[in-house]
Amino acid sequence: MFKVLRLAAGLAALAALPGCASSFAMFHPVGPVATSEFHFLLISTGVMMIIIVPTTVMTCLFAIRYRKSANAAYDPSFSHSLLLELAMWGVPLMIVLVLAYCTYRSVFLVNPAAPEALGSPQAQNALGSGVKGAAGAPAPFEVDVITTDWQWIFVYPKQGIATIDDLVIPAGQNVQLQLTSVSVTNDIYIPGALPMIDVMPGMRTLDSFRVDKTAGMEGFSADFSGDGFSWMQFSTRIMSPPDFGNWVKQTQAAPDHLTYARFQQVARPTINEGAKPHYFSGVPSDLFTTVYNATRAGVDYPVPEDVQTKAPFPSPTTGKQGDVKASS
Amino acid sequence: MFVHLQGPWSPLFGRLTLDSIPYGNPIIQFAFAVTVLGGLAAVGPMLYYRKTGYIFREWLTTVDHKKIGVMYIIFGLVMMFRGFFDGFMIRTQQVMADGPNSPGILEAQHGYLPPSHFDQIYSSHGTLMILFAVTPILTGLGNIIVPLQIGARDMAFPTMNAISLYLTIVGGMLIMASLFIGDFSQAGWVGLIPLTELDFSPSAGVDYWMWAIQISSIGTTLNAINIITTIIGMRAPGMRWDRLPIFTWTTLSTSIIGLTAFPILGVALALLGADRYLGTHFYTAGLGGNLMLYTDLFWIWGHPEVYFLVLPAFGILSEVIPTFSEKPLFGYITMVAATFAIAGISWAVWLHHFFTMGAGPWVNSFFSVATMLVGIPTGVKVFNWILTMYRGRITYTTPMLWSVSALILLLVGGLTGVMLANPAINYTVHNSVFVVAHFHCMVLLIAFTIFAAIIYWFPKIFGFMLDEKSGLRFFQTFTIGTTLTFTAMFALGFMGETRRLDYLFNPQWQPLLIVEEIGIAFYCLSVFYFAKLFYMSIRDRALNKAGPDPWGTARTLEWLTHSPVPFYNFAVTPRVHQLDELAWRKSQGIDHEMPDHYEDIHMPRNTIVPLAIGVFAFAFGFGMVWRIWWMAGFGLLAIIATVIFRSFTPDHGYIITAEDIARMEGRPPSGIVNDTHAPLPAMEEKVTP
Amino acid sequence: MDAHAASPPDNAPDLWHYGHDGNDPMAMKTLGFWLYMISDALIFGGIFAAYGVLDQPMGFYTGPTAAQIVHPGAAFLQTITILSSVLAYSLATVAMKTGNKNGVMLGIAASILLALMFLGLELNDFATLFAQHATPQTSGFLSVFFLLIATHGLHMIFGVLWMLVMLIQVPRFGLNTDVVTRLLNLRLFWQFQASVWVCVYIFVYLRGAS
Repeated sequence: MFKVLRLAAGLAALAALPGCASSFAMFHPVGPVATSEFHFLLISTGVMMIIIVPTTVMTCLFAIRYRKSANAAYDPSFSHSLLLELAMWGVPLMIVLVLAYCTYRSVFLVNPAAPEALGSPQAQNALGSGVKGAAGAPAPFEVDVITTDWQWIFVYPKQGIATIDDLVIPAGQNVQLQLTSVSVTNDIYIPGALPMIDVMPGMRTLDSFRVDKTAGMEGFSADFSGDGFSWMQFSTRIMSPPDFGNWVKQTQAAPDHLTYARFQQVARPTINEGAKPHYFSGVPSDLFTTVYNATRAGVDYPVPEDVQTKAPFPSPTTGKQGDVKASS
Repeated sequence: MFVHLQGPWSPLFGRLTLDSIPYGNPIIQFAFAVTVLGGLAAVGPMLYYRKTGYIFREWLTTVDHKKIGVMYIIFGLVMMFRGFFDGFMIRTQQVMADGPNSPGILEAQHGYLPPSHFDQIYSSHGTLMILFAVTPILTGLGNIIVPLQIGARDMAFPTMNAISLYLTIVGGMLIMASLFIGDFSQAGWVGLIPLTELDFSPSAGVDYWMWAIQISSIGTTLNAINIITTIIGMRAPGMRWDRLPIFTWTTLSTSIIGLTAFPILGVALALLGADRYLGTHFYTAGLGGNLMLYTDLFWIWGHPEVYFLVLPAFGILSEVIPTFSEKPLFGYITMVAATFAIAGISWAVWLHHFFTMGAGPWVNSFFSVATMLVGIPTGVKVFNWILTMYRGRITYTTPMLWSVSALILLLVGGLTGVMLANPAINYTVHNSVFVVAHFHCMVLLIAFTIFAAIIYWFPKIFGFMLDEKSGLRFFQTFTIGTTLTFTAMFALGFMGETRRLDYLFNPQWQPLLIVEEIGIAFYCLSVFYFAKLFYMSIRDRALNKAGPDPWGTARTLEWLTHSPVPFYNFAVTPRVHQLDELAWRKSQGIDHEMPDHYEDIHMPRNTIVPLAIGVFAFAFGFGMVWRIWWMAGFGLLAIIATVIFRSFTPDHGYIITAEDIARMEGRPPSGIVNDTHAPLPAMEEKVTP
Repeated sequence: MDAHAASPPDNAPDLWHYGHDGNDPMAMKTLGFWLYMISDALIFGGIFAAYGVLDQPMGFYTGPTAAQIVHPGAAFLQTITILSSVLAYSLATVAMKTGNKNGVMLGIAASILLALMFLGLELNDFATLFAQHATPQTSGFLSVFFLLIATHGLHMIFGVLWMLVMLIQVPRFGLNTDVVTRLLNLRLFWQFQASVWVCVYIFVYLRGAS
C-alpha cells in the first residue's frame, strides 16, 4: 500500500509542473557552451540509466516477489557468487570509464576560462591580445565584473562605460568576463547561457560564453553572500550588434562617472531591491586592476552589525535613505 | 585588541550586553516558550516523582555504553526535531516570499523572516541536522550495539565514552543558547568564506557555530578512538575478523574516518578562529590570505564526513535486510571490501564540492573521475542488498519498510550524484536546489535507516516492542513528505532556483513551492505519529514484552542477550564459532543454551568527571563566544585540572560476584531503566537454581 | 526462554568462555594513545598544508619572505635541545625498566629543563621578530609561520605539564601499571613532538632559508 501512495505522491508532484516550458531554462540552452553542457547532461543521465533502471526494477521486483506471503522460491544458502560479484564490480566500472571519458571531453569543451566549444585553444584569443582566431572569429568581447555587497558592476574597459545590474552584450560574439569581488564570494549564474564560476575577492576568475541570437535573461549570484544576497539579480540583454553600438553610445553620455572614488561609494553595503540598473560613463579602463589591487591590500567594505535591523544604507546611486518596507 | 569589534566589550561580560537578548522578536519568543515547555516536560516528571537522585546516579554519571548510547540518541532526536522545525520555517518562508508582489509580515519585506533571521535558520538547520542530530544518533547506535555484537562488556574507555557524550551535548547547548542570547551564524553550515570573517559577520553568531563544532568534534574524535580500540582489542574469543558482524565493520571504517578527518576540520576552524580573534590573515582577501585554503581544508574533512554519516547507515541496512529476508547477507567479504574502498576513495574527491572555484580542467577531471569511482563500491552494496532479498522470505515489518525505501532513495541520490560529478553539468546546477535535493536524498536515506535501526533494536534495549501501527503511519507520512518535497525540488533545480534564498524573485516557481509545502505538512503529520508511536508503545509496554530474539529471525550476537540487556551485557562471555553466530547456534539448536556456572565480573564505576568536564567545556565555549576571557580560561583550566585529578584516583571499578549474577540471571530482566550498578538488595521472590 | 542450566552434550561446541578477560589494560591504553597520535599527526598535516599554500609570493604580500625571518643556525640549537630532551626522557624509561625510580625522576627533570630551554629559545625568536614588526597580523605567510611553530610549542607545554604530573605520581604511586602506561605514552608523545619539530626545521627553516 505504501508503494501506491508514494507513486501517487510522485505523480501529483509531476502533475504540478507548470506547463510553461521556458521556465526550464536549463533545458533550453542558448549558445554553444550551454548547449554543450546540456548535451552532456543528457549523455550522463542516459548512460547512468543503464544501471539505474534495471536496478530499480530489480529492487521493486524482488521486494514484492519474495514476500513471505507470496511463497516464492526460498534459498537461504545463496549468499555468494563469484560471477555476480565480477558483474557488479565490472559493469559499473565500465560505465564509469565511459563517463570518465565524457567528463574529460566535456571539461575542456566548457572550461569557463577557455571553452573549446567556442573554438580550439589556438583559435581562441588570449584576453586583450586582439589576435583574430583561425576561423576568423573576432576578438572576444571583454567585460570586467566586480561584485560588491550586494550588486553586480559590469565594466566595459574598452568602451569606458559601466553598469550596475545590467549585462548587455552583442550577439554572435565570444564574450570573455574577468571577475573579482570586493567583499565576499559570489557565483555568476545565467541559467542556460553561462557556465558558473566563482567570483572571489583578491582573486581573478575568467568565464566565457557566446549567445547567437538576441535574448533577455535573468542572471544572479549562486553563492550566498549575506543579507542582500536574494536581491543580487542582474538582467542580461543580448542585442544585435547595431543595437549594441547604439546602447554603448547612449551610455557613454551618462552623467555619472565611475572613478575609483565613486566606486568606493557604490561598493558600500546596500541592497538594490528590484535590481534597478544604473549607468556610468568615464570609467577608467584599469578600474578592475585598481579594485583588485586594493582588495589585495586589505581594503574591504565591512557590513555593519545592524544593517539588517535598520534601513539599508543610503542608496549610493540615488542618495536616498532606503526604507525597509519599501515596495520593490 | 588584535581585531576591531563592532559593539562594546567589557572585561567582566565580554561582548555580552542586554542588547544581545532578542526580547522583542516574536519568533524567538515562540521558540523560548516551546523550549521552556519542552524542558518542563522533561524535568517536571523527574521532580514530581522524586527521581532526581536516580537520574543523577544512574544516568548523568553513568559509564555504561548502553545508557550513554540511549542519551546520545535522545539528544539527537531532540536536535533533529529542532532541525526539522528550522526546515519547516525555511519552506514556509520560501513559499510565502515568491515574487516581487509577495507580502511581508513581521519585519520582513517578503514572507515572515527577514534575511538575517532566515540565514541563521538555514545555517542552524544544516549544522544541527548533520552534526547534532544524525551524528549523535549514529554514534549512539554504534555505542550500544558494537560492544554487544562483539561480545564485550563495555567499551575500551568507558569514562572517555561519557566525556564524548557530554562534549557533543555541550556543542548542541551552545547552539540552543544562540537562540536566546545573541544570534547564530548566517554563513551556512559550511561557514562560507570570507563571509565568516569578522568584517562580514561582525556578531557572535559565527563564533557560536565555530565553538559548537570544535567542542563536539573533540567528542567525536575521542569516540572514534574508543570504538577502534574496542573493536580491535575487546572481541570475544573466536570473534575473528572474518566473523565480525557487518555493522561492526562499518562502524570501524566510520571511526577511522572520524579519527583522521575531524582533525582537519579542527585546523580549518582554528585558522578561522585565529582570523576572528587574533586578526591574522589566513583567509582574508587582503594581505596574503587565501580564502580557497578554507574551502579546501573544510571539504577535505567535509567529504569523508558524509561517508562518516552514510557508512553506519549502510551497516544498518546490512543488518536489517538479512534479518527480515531470513537469509544471510549476500557477499559478506565484498561488502567489507566495498566499505573500506568507499572510506579510502572518499579522501580523494573533496573538490567536487567546488568545481566552480576555477581549478581548471585537469584538476576538475581528476576529482570528477574519483567521485564516480566511489560510486562503484556503493553500487556493489546496493546489488548485494538486492541479492540478499532475492530468494529470501521477506517480512515487511516497519524496519524492513524503512530499509527498502532507503534503497530507492539511494538509487535516486546516486544517480543525481553521478550527474553532479561531471563538472560540465555541475557548472549549470552548482548551488541550485538540485544539489540540495541530491544531498537531502542521501541524508534522508540515513534518516530512514536511523528509524529502521531504532525500531529494530529498541526491543533489545528496552525490553518491549514499539507499536507497529503507529510506526507504519509514521513511515507512510514521512515517506510521502519526502517524495513530494524532493521531487518538486529536483524540478525546481532544473528551473534555475538557487539555494539559500530568503526572497525568490521568480513567481513561476510558486506551484512547485506549494507542492514542497504540502510535503512539509506531511512531515509535520509524521512528527505527530512519531510522538504517538512512543507514547502508545510506552503506555502498552506490559503487553508487548520482548524476549531475547523478538523479531524471530535475528542472526547476530547481540540477540543472544536478554531483553532488556543487563548492565553487564553477557553473564558469561560467549565463544564465537561462525559469522552470524546466533544464526549458526539456531541451526544447531543450541541458541537457548545457558552457561552452567558463573564467575565474578569486573565493571567500571560511575563517575561525575564526564559531567564536570561537560560543564567546564560549556563555560569555555560560552566564554570564547562572547570573549569573556576569564570564563573561557577558567573552563579550560578546570578541564585540565579535572583530568589531572582523575589520574590520581585509581579507579578499580567494582566486582559483581558470581552469586549476584546467578540471582540476576534467574529472574526476569529489569533492564536499562530499572537496574542499578550497585549490588542487589535481598530478593523477595525465591529463585529456582 | 529456559532459565535452567542444562549440561551440554559431550560433543557440543564450547559456547562460553571462562577465565580472566583477555584485555590487557596497558595494551588498550597504548593502542588508544597511538590512535590519538594519528589524529594529532593529521592536525599537523593540516597546518603544514596551510603552510604550503601560504608560503608563496601571494602569501607574503608586502611582509617578509621565509628567507628574511628564519635563522637555521639558531633553530639548529633548538633542534639539538629538543632531541636532547627526548634523549633524557628515553633514559628515564630505561631506568623505569630496571625499576629505578630515582633514575626516572632525574631523566624527567632533565627533559623538562631542556624542553623549557627549547621554549625559551623559541619565545626569544618570536620576540625578535615582533620587534622587527613581523607579527602574525602582518601577512598570510606570517600567520601560518607563527601558528605552526606555536602549535608545536603548545604541544610541548602540555608535554611538560604531563611530565610535572608524573614527577608527582612516580614517588607517590611507584611504578605501577597505570604509572608505567602513562610514562610509555608520554614517551610516544614526546618523540612525536620531536619528529614534528624535525619536519618544521626542514620545511620552514632549511627550505625557507634557501
